[in-house]
Amino acid sequence: MCNVVEATGVHYTYVSDDGMGNVTRKHALKGADLQVEEGSYVAVLGPNGSGKSTFAKVIDILEVPDEGRVAVFGYDTKDREHFWEIRENCACVFQNPDNQIVGTTVEEDVAFGPENLGVPLPELREVVDDSLKAVGLYDLSRRMTTELSGGQKQKLAIAGALAMRPKILILDEATAMLDPLSREEFLQTVERLRTERNMTVITITHDMTEAQRCEKVFIMEDGLVVRSGTPEEVFSDKEAVMRSGLELPVNCDLVSAVADITGSSIEPSDIKDDLTCSAAISRMLTGLSSDTAVPDVSEPHAAASGKTVLEVSALSYSYDNGQNYAISNMDLDIYEGEVLGIVGKSGCGKTTLITHLNGLMRPQEGDVKLFCGGKTYSTRNRKQLRDIREKVGLVFQYPEYQLFEETVYKDVSYGIRKSGLSDEEKKERVITALEMVGLTSDFLELSPFDLSGGQKRRVAIAGVLVMKPEILVLDEPASGLDPRGKREMISLIKGLRAKGCTIVIVSHNMDEAARICDRICCIRDGRIMAVKTPGELFSDASFTSKTGILRPILYDFSDCVKAELAGHFKGIVFEDTKNNVADEASAIVSCVLRHKGGGHDR
Amino acid sequence: MTDKISLGRYYETGSVLHTTDPRVKAVLYLLYLVSIFMLKTGWGLLLAGIVTLVQYIIAKIPPRIVWSTVKPVIPLAAFIFLINLFSIRGGEILFSWHFISFTDEGAYMAVLMALRLMFLILSTSVILTLTTTPLKLSDALESLFAPLKVIKVPVHEMAMMMSIALRFIPTLAIETDKIMKAQMSRGAEYDNGSLINRVKGYITVLVPLFVSSFKRAEELAVAMDARCYRGGEGRTKLNPLKITLRDVAVAVVFAFGAAVPVVVDFLIR
Repeated sequence: MCNVVEATGVHYTYVSDDGMGNVTRKHALKGADLQVEEGSYVAVLGPNGSGKSTFAKVIDILEVPDEGRVAVFGYDTKDREHFWEIRENCACVFQNPDNQIVGTTVEEDVAFGPENLGVPLPELREVVDDSLKAVGLYDLSRRMTTELSGGQKQKLAIAGALAMRPKILILDEATAMLDPLSREEFLQTVERLRTERNMTVITITHDMTEAQRCEKVFIMEDGLVVRSGTPEEVFSDKEAVMRSGLELPVNCDLVSAVADITGSSIEPSDIKDDLTCSAAISRMLTGLSSDTAVPDVSEPHAAASGKTVLEVSALSYSYDNGQNYAISNMDLDIYEGEVLGIVGKSGCGKTTLITHLNGLMRPQEGDVKLFCGGKTYSTRNRKQLRDIREKVGLVFQYPEYQLFEETVYKDVSYGIRKSGLSDEEKKERVITALEMVGLTSDFLELSPFDLSGGQKRRVAIAGVLVMKPEILVLDEPASGLDPRGKREMISLIKGLRAKGCTIVIVSHNMDEAARICDRICCIRDGRIMAVKTPGELFSDASFTSKTGILRPILYDFSDCVKAELAGHFKGIVFEDTKNNVADEASAIVSCVLRHKGGGHDR
Repeated sequence: MTDKISLGRYYETGSVLHTTDPRVKAVLYLLYLVSIFMLKTGWGLLLAGIVTLVQYIIAKIPPRIVWSTVKPVIPLAAFIFLINLFSIRGGEILFSWHFISFTDEGAYMAVLMALRLMFLILSTSVILTLTTTPLKLSDALESLFAPLKVIKVPVHEMAMMMSIALRFIPTLAIETDKIMKAQMSRGAEYDNGSLINRVKGYITVLVPLFVSSFKRAEELAVAMDARCYRGGEGRTKLNPLKITLRDVAVAVVFAFGAAVPVVVDFLIR
């Protein structure tokens, strides 16, 4: 096997000039090395700003390194002679589907690449049709690109890439904006095409479970490749992975948690897949001594008060005068102090529902009532809308895109500009809001546009918190963040809950939803299927077929582990699956201990 | 929100008009433009109305779409109507109350101008935007203006810019709607208050929209680069423009449709 990509000591610096003589330099790559074998499937992991995307660009000669050498197909990327040879044989799929579609119709867009290559006609038509068939979009070839769903747009982007018949396919966080089912479909398409066409696939991702499917993993940190190896090699060193600001895939995480309790060690061969992981756990537990200390399972959340603060009743809404209902006949009570999750496939009506909660959309049928401070407000009453919007704070997906002021202070205080508070009081409110999202008063005078992605998002959330909402509604607050950012966002939400805030959270990530929500409301095709605790909801094995949503990875994997253990410990009784890895590990170990203890008694 | 924006919106029905060569449609459109501005009598306008109606039937565009095309123009048409009504002085006074009055000539011009505008929008939509994808339209313009390349006019680049601009209109419309909703959640009000306050309110939408548009532009440029875009030189086309006999037939029929109202108009004047 030869290396199709060979990068040694690559340096790259972004230089930006604001037109007034202020030049800022950002060192994105600081001597990174990376080799990719022909036909292999590799993942590049790393926190935001570690230089992953820059690396992708350096391979496709969208950027040329300042120092070091990048050879693709054996040609140096600085060599002008082979420039087109390299670029024509590399194809990229980027994160935001909207920003890479050039064509107005599906087939026009797929044709864009080969047209640029000058592929003549009968062949051009063939290539376009082939690529569309390969991703399953052939039937939509004359459709407008803007009419496609997010998952379809991303498949269109692959079709556009395939049409160039690339040898290397680079996916730059291509699955970040997809829901789990579309993500799974997308990855299966990529993997099938890879074997069919013998392509090299380089995927840049924040999803560790996705990285596990690859043959090789590179971890980048601060412009350098700090670790590389097979996924099992890399993920067997938990500490190093965490230090790089990443996390373990769920199955490895559970193995590692059990290993911590039992004092066992993990070999890379233990964590190849779900089966080896289960076998490893079973091995660790077979020789378990009965005096093993098991950490306590953390208490479930203190039960919410049970007092309804927001009541959705018989709510229906149609965008096209009753032909199709985006949401229909929804009934939902939101209790004071709870974290309520709203889950469902893309396009199932989640966003329509939450925009009704603060009266941005008003009910066509049914009602949304807010009970607060002894008063009842209804979004049907136009005069109460202003009060409702103040009391129900709504944070949309990617809220950082709504920032507009020159300073953080001005932006955050926008919501209370007409509140009649004195400047002093306003400033205090702004600082409190910033502290709630984990920022300090040092940020007040900075421009929001100079902050990092995660910081911008916090400022945007502070801009809603400043109005002191009784209920906070968050649409996908963690989407697009790296593992560290996600962890921080989760602890931020938990912190807000501890302060007594009622939170409604829309999420695609079921593991995340199970971890933070008290109750979860499942929506399918505009109807509420169930409102239950995560345990009740996900322990039902037919959950996926009923709701069209994938179960949390932890639940599926835990079932796999339990099946394995049941073979070794006859008649063992397990508890219900817990909602986070640490608790689940404790629960499984104590079940095994109890079983062994029981055996002695008999 | 996206329904409100019809400019550059394509509506696929697979009609004859949809499959006609876009260059033929572009030329026909010019013809209709001229003919609409030559009309001066009620009969001429009525005929033009019938021709437009027939065009929509041929294009198989449902009334709902027609309405969404016309709706945004109504305020402008009303404005033009009122300006003409009260500013043109001549002929007999039809109505007078205090200092407000208008004449029969003013009323006539007001109706004429407003109707012309409506026909203009309707024709543009049916002949061009609703039945032609932006990419085809820019192909047509590129081909029609190709001779200008001789004098170094960047025809291909201009056509490309136009088609991308049109392609992004719906995307930006959706984004505008999202940003407005987000700011409304923070107490922004766009539908009431004084004019100055409303304009100020729009800053909260425009700034984020600009920022994100620049980001989109940057990302799109990288994506186009990655797909080996290198200008018009050596590019092939998936759907090359070719004028067939049917296109000629369409051209003749539609040219006739543009000419009849004008001829009738001249004859009865």
